[in-house]
Amino acid sequence: MTDPGLSASRKSLDPGRLDHLAVSRTGLVFDPVSGLSFTVNTTGLTILELLQSGASMEEVARRLTEIYAVTLDSATASVAGFSQQLAQNIP
Amino acid sequence: MTSEQRSNNWRTWTIAISGMGARADNPAPGLAVARCLRQHPEFRGRVIALSYDALDAGLYDDHACDEAYLLPYPSLGEASLLERLLEIRNVVALDAIVPCLDAELDNLQRLQPALAELGIASLLPDRKTLTARSKENLPALGAATGVATPATRIVNDMGFFDTCHQVGWSYPLVIKGRVYGAHVVRNANEAKTACWRIAQQWGYPILVQRFIPGHEVNLTAVCDGESTLLGAVMMRKRGTTDQGKAWSGISIADQELLEMAETLTRHLSWRGPLEVEALRGEDGKLYLVELNPRFPSWIYMSHAVGRNLPVVLMHLLAREQCPVLPAARTGMLFIRHARDLAVDFERWAAMATTGNHPSPPS
Repeated sequence: MTDPGLSASRKSLDPGRLDHLAVSRTGLVFDPVSGLSFTVNTTGLTILELLQSGASMEEVARRLTEIYAVTLDSATASVAGFSQQLAQNIP
Repeated sequence: MTSEQRSNNWRTWTIAISGMGARADNPAPGLAVARCLRQHPEFRGRVIALSYDALDAGLYDDHACDEAYLLPYPSLGEASLLERLLEIRNVVALDAIVPCLDAELDNLQRLQPALAELGIASLLPDRKTLTARSKENLPALGAATGVATPATRIVNDMGFFDTCHQVGWSYPLVIKGRVYGAHVVRNANEAKTACWRIAQQWGYPILVQRFIPGHEVNLTAVCDGESTLLGAVMMRKRGTTDQGKAWSGISIADQELLEMAETLTRHLSWRGPLEVEALRGEDGKLYLVELNPRFPSWIYMSHAVGRNLPVVLMHLLAREQCPVLPAARTGMLFIRHARDLAVDFERWAAMATTGNHPSPPS
Protein backbone atom coordinates (compact mmCIF):
# COMPACT_ATOMS: atom_id res chain seq x y z
CA MET A 1 0.00 0.00 0.00
CA THR A 2 1.24 3.48 -0.83
CA ASP A 3 2.08 5.68 2.15
CA PRO A 4 -0.19 8.75 2.09
CA GLY A 5 2.70 11.00 3.18
CA LEU A 6 4.78 9.87 0.24
CA SER A 7 1.90 10.40 -2.19
CA ALA A 8 1.48 13.98 -1.00
CA SER A 9 5.23 14.59 -1.28
CA ARG A 10 5.36 13.24 -4.80
CA LYS A 11 2.52 15.53 -5.85
CA SER A 12 4.31 18.59 -4.49
CA LEU A 13 7.56 17.83 -6.30
CA ASP A 14 7.70 18.89 -9.94
CA PRO A 15 9.60 16.09 -11.72
CA GLY A 16 10.76 18.49 -14.44
CA ARG A 17 12.34 20.84 -11.92
CA LEU A 18 13.87 17.89 -10.09
CA ASP A 19 15.61 16.69 -13.25
CA HIS A 20 17.12 20.10 -13.88
CA LEU A 21 18.68 20.48 -10.44
CA ALA A 22 22.45 20.55 -10.50
CA VAL A 23 23.78 18.46 -7.61
CA SER A 24 27.43 18.49 -6.63
CA ARG A 25 29.08 15.44 -5.11
CA THR A 26 29.61 17.50 -1.98
CA GLY A 27 25.89 18.17 -1.52
CA LEU A 28 25.39 21.65 -2.99
CA VAL A 29 22.13 21.79 -4.93
CA PHE A 30 21.49 24.52 -7.51
CA ASP A 31 18.14 25.30 -9.13
CA PRO A 32 18.93 26.82 -12.56
CA VAL A 33 15.43 28.31 -12.88
CA SER A 34 15.31 30.32 -9.66
CA GLY A 35 19.06 30.60 -9.08
CA LEU A 36 18.57 29.36 -5.55
CA SER A 37 21.12 27.02 -3.97
CA PHE A 38 21.08 25.01 -0.78
CA THR A 39 23.00 22.15 0.80
CA VAL A 40 21.85 18.66 1.66
CA ASN A 41 23.44 16.09 3.94
CA THR A 42 24.61 12.64 2.85
CA THR A 43 21.18 11.09 3.30
CA GLY A 44 19.55 13.94 1.41
CA LEU A 45 22.06 13.55 -1.38
CA THR A 46 21.25 9.86 -1.64
CA ILE A 47 17.50 10.56 -1.75
CA LEU A 48 17.94 13.29 -4.35
CA GLU A 49 20.14 11.16 -6.60
CA LEU A 50 17.65 8.29 -6.40
CA LEU A 51 14.73 10.58 -7.21
CA GLN A 52 16.63 12.06 -10.16
CA SER A 53 17.36 8.57 -11.43
CA GLY A 54 13.61 8.02 -11.67
CA ALA A 55 13.01 5.98 -8.51
CA SER A 56 9.59 6.27 -6.93
CA MET A 57 9.24 7.55 -3.38
CA GLU A 58 8.54 4.02 -2.17
CA GLU A 59 11.62 2.69 -3.97
CA VAL A 60 13.75 5.43 -2.43
CA ALA A 61 12.50 4.53 1.06
CA ARG A 62 13.19 0.83 0.49
CA ARG A 63 16.67 1.65 -0.82
CA LEU A 64 17.39 3.71 2.31
CA THR A 65 16.62 0.69 4.50
CA GLU A 66 19.31 -1.22 2.62
CA ILE A 67 21.94 1.53 2.80
CA TYR A 68 21.41 2.84 6.32
CA ALA A 69 19.92 -0.09 8.20
CA VAL A 70 16.80 1.79 9.26
CA THR A 71 13.22 0.58 9.42
CA LEU A 72 10.90 1.15 6.47
CA ASP A 73 8.72 3.45 8.61
CA SER A 74 11.69 5.60 9.53
CA ALA A 75 12.96 5.70 5.95
CA THR A 76 9.49 6.58 4.65
CA ALA A 77 9.19 9.44 7.12
CA SER A 78 12.65 10.70 6.11
CA VAL A 79 11.83 10.62 2.40
CA ALA A 80 8.51 12.39 2.97
CA GLY A 81 10.11 15.07 5.15
CA PHE A 82 12.99 15.61 2.78
CA SER A 83 10.71 15.83 -0.24
CA GLN A 84 8.54 18.44 1.43
CA GLN A 85 11.61 20.55 2.24
CA LEU A 86 12.85 20.09 -1.30
CA ALA A 87 9.53 21.25 -2.74
CA GLN A 88 9.76 24.41 -0.64
CA ASN A 89 13.20 25.12 -2.04
CA ILE A 90 12.23 24.66 -5.67
CA PRO A 91 8.83 26.40 -5.84
CA MET B 1 36.04 55.94 -44.75
CA THR B 2 32.38 55.07 -45.38
CA SER B 3 30.47 51.94 -44.54
CA GLU B 4 31.18 50.76 -48.09
CA GLN B 5 34.90 51.09 -47.46
CA ARG B 6 34.87 49.44 -44.03
CA SER B 7 36.06 45.85 -44.00
CA ASN B 8 33.20 43.49 -43.30
CA ASN B 9 35.51 41.31 -41.23
CA TRP B 10 34.78 42.38 -37.63
CA ARG B 11 37.66 40.22 -36.44
CA THR B 12 40.14 42.88 -37.58
CA TRP B 13 38.06 45.94 -36.69
CA THR B 14 39.05 48.83 -34.49
CA ILE B 15 36.22 49.02 -31.98
CA ALA B 16 35.55 51.96 -29.69
CA ILE B 17 33.94 51.08 -26.37
CA SER B 18 32.68 53.62 -23.85
CA GLY B 19 31.89 53.24 -20.17
CA MET B 20 35.40 52.57 -18.92
CA GLY B 21 34.79 53.63 -15.35
CA ALA B 22 35.59 50.79 -12.97
CA ARG B 23 34.51 52.02 -9.55
CA ALA B 24 34.55 49.02 -7.31
CA ASP B 25 31.00 49.57 -6.04
CA ASN B 26 29.46 50.37 -9.43
CA PRO B 27 31.60 49.55 -12.46
CA ALA B 28 30.54 50.61 -15.94
CA PRO B 29 30.23 47.83 -18.54
CA GLY B 30 32.97 48.99 -20.94
CA LEU B 31 35.88 46.99 -19.56
CA ALA B 32 33.78 43.82 -19.46
CA VAL B 33 32.74 44.34 -23.11
CA ALA B 34 36.40 44.80 -24.03
CA ARG B 35 37.33 41.61 -22.19
CA CYS B 36 34.65 39.67 -24.06
CA LEU B 37 36.07 40.78 -27.41
CA ARG B 38 39.68 40.30 -26.36
CA GLN B 39 39.07 36.77 -25.17
CA HIS B 40 37.25 35.65 -28.29
CA PRO B 41 39.71 33.44 -30.18
CA GLU B 42 38.91 34.99 -33.58
CA PHE B 43 39.25 38.65 -32.58
CA ARG B 44 42.53 40.19 -33.75
CA GLY B 45 41.39 43.81 -33.92
CA ARG B 46 42.00 46.80 -31.69
CA VAL B 47 39.99 48.12 -28.78
CA ILE B 48 39.74 51.86 -28.17
CA ALA B 49 38.62 52.96 -24.71
CA LEU B 50 36.36 56.02 -24.54
CA SER B 51 35.50 57.64 -21.24
CA TYR B 52 34.67 60.90 -19.51
CA ASP B 53 37.04 61.12 -16.55
CA ALA B 54 40.82 60.83 -16.48
CA LEU B 55 40.45 58.63 -13.37
CA ASP B 56 38.40 55.98 -15.18
CA ALA B 57 40.54 52.88 -14.81
CA GLY B 58 39.69 51.37 -18.18
CA LEU B 59 41.60 54.17 -19.88
CA TYR B 60 44.80 52.65 -18.53
CA ASP B 61 44.06 48.92 -18.72
CA ASP B 62 46.50 47.88 -21.43
CA HIS B 63 45.32 44.26 -21.37
CA ALA B 64 41.82 45.30 -22.35
CA CYS B 65 42.40 48.36 -24.55
CA ASP B 66 44.98 49.48 -27.11
CA GLU B 67 44.34 53.21 -26.97
CA ALA B 68 42.21 55.53 -24.87
CA TYR B 69 40.49 58.89 -25.33
CA LEU B 70 38.39 61.19 -23.21
CA LEU B 71 35.01 62.36 -24.48
CA PRO B 72 33.11 65.55 -23.61
CA TYR B 73 30.42 64.98 -20.99
CA PRO B 74 27.03 64.01 -22.47
CA SER B 75 25.44 67.22 -21.17
CA LEU B 76 27.47 69.16 -23.76
CA GLY B 77 25.38 67.61 -26.51
CA GLU B 78 25.88 65.68 -29.71
CA ALA B 79 27.76 68.41 -31.59
CA SER B 80 30.62 68.30 -29.06
CA LEU B 81 30.61 64.52 -29.16
CA LEU B 82 30.75 64.45 -32.96
CA GLU B 83 33.58 66.97 -32.98
CA ARG B 84 35.56 64.81 -30.55
CA LEU B 85 34.85 61.61 -32.47
CA LEU B 86 36.12 63.29 -35.64
CA GLU B 87 39.33 64.27 -33.82
CA ILE B 88 39.77 60.68 -32.63
CA ARG B 89 39.00 59.34 -36.09
CA ASN B 90 41.77 61.47 -37.52
CA VAL B 91 44.18 59.52 -35.30
CA VAL B 92 42.63 56.07 -35.40
CA ALA B 93 40.17 54.71 -37.96
CA LEU B 94 37.17 53.48 -35.98
CA ASP B 95 35.08 50.68 -37.50
CA ALA B 96 32.46 50.38 -34.77
CA ILE B 97 31.34 51.94 -31.53
CA VAL B 98 29.72 50.18 -28.57
CA PRO B 99 28.22 52.72 -26.16
CA CYS B 100 27.88 51.36 -22.65
CA LEU B 101 26.35 54.21 -20.64
CA ASP B 102 22.68 55.21 -20.50
CA ALA B 103 23.49 58.92 -20.34
CA GLU B 104 25.27 58.98 -23.71
CA LEU B 105 22.66 57.05 -25.67
CA ASP B 106 20.55 60.07 -26.66
CA ASN B 107 23.53 61.86 -28.21
CA LEU B 108 24.80 58.79 -30.01
CA GLN B 109 21.35 57.94 -31.26
CA ARG B 110 21.10 61.39 -32.84
CA LEU B 111 24.55 60.91 -34.37
CA GLN B 112 23.81 57.55 -35.96
CA PRO B 113 23.48 58.92 -39.52
CA ALA B 114 26.73 60.88 -39.12
CA LEU B 115 28.49 57.84 -37.67
CA ALA B 116 27.27 55.68 -40.55
CA GLU B 117 28.57 58.31 -42.99
CA LEU B 118 31.95 58.08 -41.28
CA GLY B 119 31.93 54.29 -41.58
CA ILE B 120 31.50 53.75 -37.84
CA ALA B 121 29.03 50.93 -37.31
CA SER B 122 26.64 50.98 -34.36
CA LEU B 123 23.36 49.33 -33.41
CA LEU B 124 21.09 51.34 -31.11
CA PRO B 125 17.38 51.55 -30.38
CA ASP B 126 15.55 54.40 -32.15
CA ARG B 127 14.52 57.54 -30.26
CA LYS B 128 10.95 56.37 -29.78
CA THR B 129 12.19 53.19 -28.14
CA LEU B 130 14.64 55.04 -25.91
CA THR B 131 11.77 57.20 -24.67
CA ALA B 132 9.39 54.28 -24.19
CA ARG B 133 11.89 52.37 -22.05
CA SER B 134 12.79 55.31 -19.81
CA LYS B 135 12.10 54.76 -16.13
CA GLU B 136 9.22 57.23 -15.94
CA ASN B 137 7.48 55.53 -18.88
CA LEU B 138 7.91 51.98 -17.60
CA PRO B 139 4.36 51.66 -16.20
CA ALA B 140 2.93 52.69 -19.58
CA LEU B 141 5.19 50.20 -21.33
CA GLY B 142 4.07 47.53 -18.89
CA ALA B 143 0.42 48.35 -19.50
CA ALA B 144 0.91 48.18 -23.27
CA THR B 145 2.65 44.81 -23.13
CA GLY B 146 0.95 43.09 -20.20
CA VAL B 147 4.20 43.09 -18.24
CA ALA B 148 3.92 43.82 -14.51
CA THR B 149 5.90 46.82 -13.26
CA PRO B 150 6.09 48.46 -9.84
CA ALA B 151 3.97 51.62 -9.62
CA THR B 152 6.18 54.63 -10.39
CA ARG B 153 5.60 58.37 -10.19
CA ILE B 154 7.59 61.57 -10.61
CA VAL B 155 8.07 63.58 -7.43
CA ASN B 156 8.30 67.36 -7.73
CA ASP B 157 7.55 68.28 -4.12
CA MET B 158 9.59 66.87 -1.23
CA GLY B 159 6.51 67.32 0.96
CA PHE B 160 5.15 64.21 -0.80
CA PHE B 161 7.35 62.07 1.45
CA ASP B 162 5.67 63.41 4.60
CA THR B 163 2.16 62.67 3.44
CA CYS B 164 2.63 59.86 0.91
CA HIS B 165 0.95 57.28 3.18
CA GLN B 166 -2.27 59.29 2.83
CA VAL B 167 -2.33 58.59 -0.89
CA GLY B 168 -1.42 54.93 -0.59
CA TRP B 169 2.37 55.13 -0.85
CA SER B 170 3.77 53.49 2.28
CA TYR B 171 7.42 52.89 3.15
CA PRO B 172 9.75 51.34 2.17
CA LEU B 173 9.93 53.06 -1.22
CA VAL B 174 12.57 53.14 -3.94
CA ILE B 175 13.92 56.56 -4.94
CA LYS B 176 15.42 56.71 -8.43
CA GLY B 177 17.07 59.19 -10.75
CA ARG B 178 15.84 59.33 -14.33
CA VAL B 179 19.10 57.86 -15.62
CA TYR B 180 21.09 56.62 -12.62
CA GLY B 181 20.75 56.00 -8.92
CA ALA B 182 18.37 53.90 -6.82
CA HIS B 183 17.96 53.93 -3.05
CA VAL B 184 15.56 52.00 -0.84
CA VAL B 185 14.24 54.37 1.84
CA ARG B 186 12.25 53.64 4.99
CA ASN B 187 11.00 57.04 6.08
CA ALA B 188 10.58 60.63 4.90
CA ASN B 189 14.02 61.74 6.09
CA GLU B 190 15.79 58.97 4.21
CA ALA B 191 13.67 59.71 1.16
CA LYS B 192 14.55 63.42 1.12
CA THR B 193 18.25 62.65 1.64
CA ALA B 194 18.19 60.16 -1.24
CA CYS B 195 16.42 62.67 -3.49
CA TRP B 196 19.00 65.32 -2.69
CA ARG B 197 21.88 62.94 -3.41
CA ILE B 198 20.45 61.84 -6.74
CA ALA B 199 19.56 65.38 -7.78
CA GLN B 200 23.07 66.60 -6.88
CA GLN B 201 24.71 63.93 -8.97
CA TRP B 202 22.27 63.30 -11.79
CA GLY B 203 19.72 66.11 -11.73
CA TYR B 204 15.94 65.95 -11.97
CA PRO B 205 13.39 64.48 -12.28
CA ILE B 206 13.27 62.21 -9.25
CA LEU B 207 11.14 59.10 -9.45
CA VAL B 208 9.59 57.12 -6.64
CA GLN B 209 8.77 53.47 -7.10
CA ARG B 210 6.92 51.04 -4.89
CA PHE B 211 9.25 48.60 -3.15
CA ILE B 212 8.59 44.98 -4.02
CA PRO B 213 10.15 42.41 -1.71
CA GLY B 214 11.85 39.63 -3.63
CA HIS B 215 15.09 38.93 -5.47
CA GLU B 216 16.50 40.46 -8.62
CA VAL B 217 16.96 38.52 -11.84
CA ASN B 218 18.49 40.09 -14.93
CA LEU B 219 18.70 39.21 -18.61
CA THR B 220 21.00 40.50 -21.32
CA ALA B 221 20.82 39.87 -25.05
CA VAL B 222 21.17 41.54 -28.45
CA CYS B 223 18.30 42.34 -30.83
CA ASP B 224 18.78 42.47 -34.56
CA GLY B 225 16.20 45.17 -35.20
CA GLU B 226 13.80 42.67 -36.70
CA SER B 227 12.35 41.66 -33.34
CA THR B 228 14.66 38.71 -32.88
CA LEU B 229 16.22 38.36 -29.47
CA LEU B 230 19.64 36.73 -29.76
CA GLY B 231 21.75 34.94 -27.17
CA ALA B 232 19.80 35.62 -23.99
CA VAL B 233 21.89 35.20 -20.84
CA MET B 234 20.20 35.37 -17.44
CA MET B 235 21.50 35.66 -13.91
CA ARG B 236 20.28 35.96 -10.37
CA LYS B 237 22.10 38.39 -8.14
CA ARG B 238 23.76 36.63 -5.23
CA GLY B 239 25.57 39.51 -3.59
CA THR B 240 25.12 43.25 -4.02
CA THR B 241 26.97 46.44 -3.17
CA ASP B 242 25.32 49.04 -0.96
CA GLN B 243 24.04 50.59 -4.19
CA GLY B 244 22.27 47.35 -5.04
CA LYS B 245 24.67 46.56 -7.87
CA ALA B 246 25.60 42.93 -8.46
CA TRP B 247 28.80 41.93 -6.72
CA SER B 248 28.22 38.31 -7.53
CA GLY B 249 25.61 36.45 -9.50
CA ILE B 250 24.81 33.04 -10.92
CA SER B 251 23.58 32.13 -14.39
CA ILE B 252 20.04 30.79 -14.57
CA ALA B 253 17.46 29.79 -17.19
CA ASP B 254 14.14 31.42 -16.32
CA GLN B 255 11.62 30.90 -19.12
CA GLU B 256 9.27 33.56 -17.78
CA LEU B 257 12.05 36.16 -17.76
CA LEU B 258 12.97 35.21 -21.32
CA GLU B 259 9.34 35.57 -22.42
CA MET B 260 9.16 38.99 -20.73
CA ALA B 261 12.23 40.14 -22.66
CA GLU B 262 10.85 38.79 -25.94
CA THR B 263 7.51 40.53 -25.36
CA LEU B 264 9.18 43.87 -24.64
CA THR B 265 11.70 43.79 -27.47
CA ARG B 266 9.08 42.65 -30.00
CA HIS B 267 6.75 45.45 -28.94
CA LEU B 268 9.52 48.06 -29.19
CA SER B 269 11.24 46.63 -32.32
CA TRP B 270 14.42 46.80 -30.29
CA ARG B 271 17.79 47.23 -31.96
CA GLY B 272 21.09 46.45 -30.26
CA PRO B 273 22.17 45.31 -26.80
CA LEU B 274 19.83 45.39 -23.83
CA GLU B 275 19.50 44.48 -20.19
CA VAL B 276 16.20 43.58 -18.55
CA GLU B 277 16.24 44.14 -14.80
CA ALA B 278 13.39 42.30 -13.12
CA LEU B 279 12.26 41.34 -9.66
CA ARG B 280 10.88 37.96 -8.72
CA GLY B 281 8.53 39.10 -5.99
CA GLU B 282 7.78 37.09 -2.89
CA ASP B 283 4.29 36.79 -4.40
CA GLY B 284 5.90 34.73 -7.19
CA LYS B 285 5.22 37.37 -9.85
CA LEU B 286 7.88 38.74 -12.14
CA TYR B 287 8.10 42.56 -12.28
CA LEU B 288 9.99 44.64 -14.82
CA VAL B 289 12.17 47.16 -12.95
CA GLU B 290 14.32 48.64 -15.72
CA LEU B 291 15.05 48.11 -19.41
CA ASN B 292 18.53 49.35 -20.29
CA PRO B 293 19.70 50.04 -23.88
CA ARG B 294 23.22 48.68 -23.45
CA PHE B 295 25.18 45.72 -22.18
CA PRO B 296 25.29 45.37 -18.38
CA SER B 297 28.46 45.49 -16.29
CA TRP B 298 28.13 41.71 -15.78
CA ILE B 299 28.36 41.06 -19.55
CA TYR B 300 31.58 39.04 -19.12
CA MET B 301 29.24 36.31 -17.87
CA SER B 302 28.01 35.95 -21.48
CA HIS B 303 31.49 34.86 -22.53
CA ALA B 304 31.69 32.51 -19.55
CA VAL B 305 28.42 30.72 -20.36
CA GLY B 306 29.27 30.29 -24.04
CA ARG B 307 27.28 33.17 -25.55
CA ASN B 308 29.74 36.00 -26.08
CA LEU B 309 27.23 38.78 -26.73
CA PRO B 310 29.66 41.55 -27.75
CA VAL B 311 30.83 39.14 -30.46
CA VAL B 312 27.20 38.48 -31.44
CA LEU B 313 26.82 42.26 -31.79
CA MET B 314 29.88 42.35 -34.05
CA HIS B 315 28.32 39.72 -36.29
CA LEU B 316 25.21 41.88 -36.62
CA LEU B 317 27.23 45.05 -37.30
CA ALA B 318 29.23 43.24 -39.97
CA ARG B 319 25.99 41.80 -41.40
CA GLU B 320 27.49 38.38 -40.96
CA GLN B 321 25.41 35.30 -40.19
CA CYS B 322 25.52 34.79 -36.44
CA PRO B 323 26.65 31.26 -35.52
CA VAL B 324 24.17 29.05 -33.71
CA LEU B 325 24.68 29.73 -30.04
CA PRO B 326 24.81 26.91 -27.50
CA ALA B 327 22.40 26.91 -24.57
CA ALA B 328 23.70 29.25 -21.90
CA ARG B 329 25.44 27.24 -19.22
CA THR B 330 23.58 27.55 -15.90
CA GLY B 331 25.16 27.53 -12.46
CA MET B 332 28.13 29.66 -13.58
CA LEU B 333 29.02 32.07 -10.81
CA PHE B 334 30.64 35.44 -11.23
CA ILE B 335 32.31 37.28 -8.39
CA ARG B 336 33.51 40.83 -8.92
CA HIS B 337 36.77 42.05 -7.48
CA ALA B 338 38.61 45.32 -7.34
CA ARG B 339 42.26 45.70 -8.29
CA ASP B 340 44.70 48.55 -8.49
CA LEU B 341 46.27 49.73 -11.73
CA ALA B 342 49.62 51.49 -11.46
CA VAL B 343 49.63 54.42 -13.88
CA ASP B 344 52.76 56.31 -14.84
CA PHE B 345 52.50 60.03 -14.05
CA GLU B 346 53.08 61.09 -17.66
CA ARG B 347 50.28 58.88 -18.95
CA TRP B 348 47.79 60.17 -16.40
CA ALA B 349 48.90 63.77 -16.95
CA ALA B 350 48.55 63.42 -20.73
CA MET B 351 45.08 61.96 -20.34
CA ALA B 352 44.00 64.69 -17.93
CA THR B 353 45.30 67.52 -20.11
CA THR B 354 45.01 66.34 -23.71
CA GLY B 355 42.33 63.65 -23.50
CA ASN B 356 44.53 60.78 -24.58
CA HIS B 357 47.84 59.24 -23.63
CA PRO B 358 50.76 57.68 -25.42
CA SER B 359 50.49 53.98 -26.16
CA PRO B 360 52.08 51.75 -23.55
CA PRO B 361 55.57 50.48 -24.23
CA SER B 362 55.30 47.22 -26.20
